Amino acid sequence: MDIDDILREVDPASHGISLETRDLQALTRLWVAERSAPELLNWPADGLFERVNSKIKSQIERIEDMTGDMDPKTNFALIVIQTELERYKFLVRSYLRTRIAKIDKHTLHYLSTETLRQRLSPTELAYATRHQALLHNHYLSSFLSSFPQRLQNLNDTAGNVSMIDAPDLDTAVFVRLLRDKDVFGRGTDVDTILPAANGDVLILRWSSAKGLVEDGDAELV
Amino acid sequence: MYGDLGIKLVQHAKRTQNLAHLPPYQTELVRAVTREVRDLNKDVDDLLEPFQGSFDPSEDQAIAYTLLVNHISMRRNKRCLLAYHRTRTDKLEELVWNGVDVVDLSGQQVRDAGASRGSTGVASGDGSTSSLSPQEEDYVRQYGDLLAAYKGQWTDIDLTGSLEPPRDLFIDVRVLKDAGEIQTEYGAITLTKNSQFYVRQGDVERLIAQGYLQKLS
Repeated sequence: MDIDDILREVDPASHGISLETRDLQALTRLWVAERSAPELLNWPADGLFERVNSKIKSQIERIEDMTGDMDPKTNFALIVIQTELERYKFLVRSYLRTRIAKIDKHTLHYLSTETLRQRLSPTELAYATRHQALLHNHYLSSFLSSFPQRLQNLNDTAGNVSMIDAPDLDTAVFVRLLRDKDVFGRGTDVDTILPAANGDVLILRWSSAKGLVEDGDAELV
Repeated sequence: MYGDLGIKLVQHAKRTQNLAHLPPYQTELVRAVTREVRDLNKDVDDLLEPFQGSFDPSEDQAIAYTLLVNHISMRRNKRCLLAYHRTRTDKLEELVWNGVDVVDLSGQQVRDAGASRGSTGVASGDGSTSSLSPQEEDYVRQYGDLLAAYKGQWTDIDLTGSLEPPRDLFIDVRVLKDAGEIQTEYGAITLTKNSQFYVRQGDVERLIAQGYLQKLS
């Protein structure tokens, strides 16, 4: 702990701001990463969204309080806050929608194993389970129920062809290195090891980039 | 020929992907494919019956091949049916997300089609005028409930809102249809047809999506 850390703890204002800014940065990063990764990423476990939600709530209340005031100065502040709020809301909305789109596309895949289930938030898990049940019911009532019993499954793996579609983990992604590192990339003909410096932007398969991103050596852009 | 009907369904599905509206549900085709599967299954059972469960593929290769072809055809038909239904449900879900009243919409399409073809066009009578199958209507209703439940967790965000990044807080809109009076923080506005307003985007997003207002750039 150095002097800056001590100062930050003593000064409530700077401490508060830094946490909020960090949350916003974390949210923006999550959003960018989620949009460029081909598969569903982990739901943030540290209560980020609870904080974001309460922040949005308090801003809305603040706006409601300020609306009554006719002073032009407050009016200007109000517009700034509202614009900020709209942007914040957009980030959250877009992030959630991206995740839902991925879940909808490969529902059975994400529900199939416990480790994959862990990536979903409790509400997303409830949504995915219910959605899959609805779909299955729909198939059943439309045609599946008149099929022979052994053909009624939706997760057959007979003939080495699994019915469960999984996201393509070999899709290309762009990553920015956050520290100097030798990057291993799997290629079509030949695998390579590329020495890369902090700040370099590389394009490589998600399957190769995944480890780097998870260890915090790189971020998706 | 095995699978001919299945490919028709897939072609329908492919066409649906590029259409703005949902074409009528192919009840007959779905039923025919299902029937084919049942017939094939019966063939398989008939072929296997004399063996009483002691069938050895290497001894009777001709029957083994017949069985294989039948099995593969059945599976293929099943996949075709699944693909067809999934394409349609995806489309329906998209409509639900956009806040369209799907049951209303399908009824309207049929009415429009009926009007353009003249009064003699649609003679199918009562309940069967919708382009959705009854099962699909059920599905849409249930999915709507599910979505509402999920959205309820995020009341402040409005999940079905615009996915365009917001640029300006206020936008110019033109009123395309009378929408009555709406309440905003700056007082009530009466939206009458052909008038133009400078309003907060968040207040009118719903109305734009429903086609009452048009955003002017």
